[in-house]
Amino acid sequence: MALPYPQIASDQASGIGAFNINLRAFLFQLLTFVIVLYIFKRWILPPLTKTLEARRKTVEESLANAAKTKDELEKAEARVKQMIAEGRASADDVIKGAQDEAKNLVAKAETAASAQAERVLNDAKDQISQEHNKLREELKGELASLVVLTTEKVLKTKLNAKEDAKLVEKSIEEIN
Amino acid sequence: MAAFSRRSLANYAVEQLLANQSPAQLSKYLAAALIASKRQDQADLLLADINQELESRGRLANATVTSATKLSAELRKSLSSQVKKAAKVDQVSLNEQIDPSVIGGIRIETANHTWDKTVARKLSEIKGGI
Repeated sequence: MALPYPQIASDQASGIGAFNINLRAFLFQLLTFVIVLYIFKRWILPPLTKTLEARRKTVEESLANAAKTKDELEKAEARVKQMIAEGRASADDVIKGAQDEAKNLVAKAETAASAQAERVLNDAKDQISQEHNKLREELKGELASLVVLTTEKVLKTKLNAKEDAKLVEKSIEEIN
Repeated sequence: MAAFSRRSLANYAVEQLLANQSPAQLSKYLAAALIASKRQDQADLLLADINQELESRGRLANATVTSATKLSAELRKSLSSQVKKAAKVDQVSLNEQIDPSVIGGIRIETANHTWDKTVARKLSEIKGGI
């Protein structure tokens, strides 16, 4: 393709001109780049680096803390599990103890109730027996009174003077 | 006046009776003695003591005889003889009482003895035995 500036075109045809680069512009841009680079390195990069380093340290600390926290959490979970297990075992012991005590109490109460029931039963039997004997004695007494009364009435009716004289005679013979 | 017991007074009375002291006169002495010792209320007890003493000495038994019907003379004689033997006394004085409640038989009471041969007593024993 033909350039509008034939001289320049002839200059650019060899060396750097082959790349069609404006040297002056290139130098200017290079200088600008260097300046920008210097500024970046002088004022921007250090705080940025420092910030990033701080950020990195923070992250590392956070990670360390997280790991530590994780360990502590695991330890705490283990302790909690152990405490739960111990508590469960202790609770089982307590429950078992309470159950045994309750069984003992029930057994004692049953024994006491049985003894008391037996005592009450024996007392009732004794009382019934006493009442029975008392009634029997009363009945015997009443029967005896009745028999004697009847005999007395019969004798008063049947025993005349003659028979009484015989009885008296016999009684006199028995005196000694 | 010296204090004396009723028993000693009874002994004195028996001694006087056995010495043929008049019963009427002796009664006056005994009454005076009781009055003097302010024991008038013990006259019956003194008579009982005298009877007991007479019976103990084998001289006389005052027997109270209780029966349902009146005793015949024959029975009284037999009774007197039997009581003499049983009480071991020379004489027996019978005081008869009629009590229908004895039903039958006889009860003799002296100062030292009691013989209860009544039907009422036998019934009572039967009742007690039952």
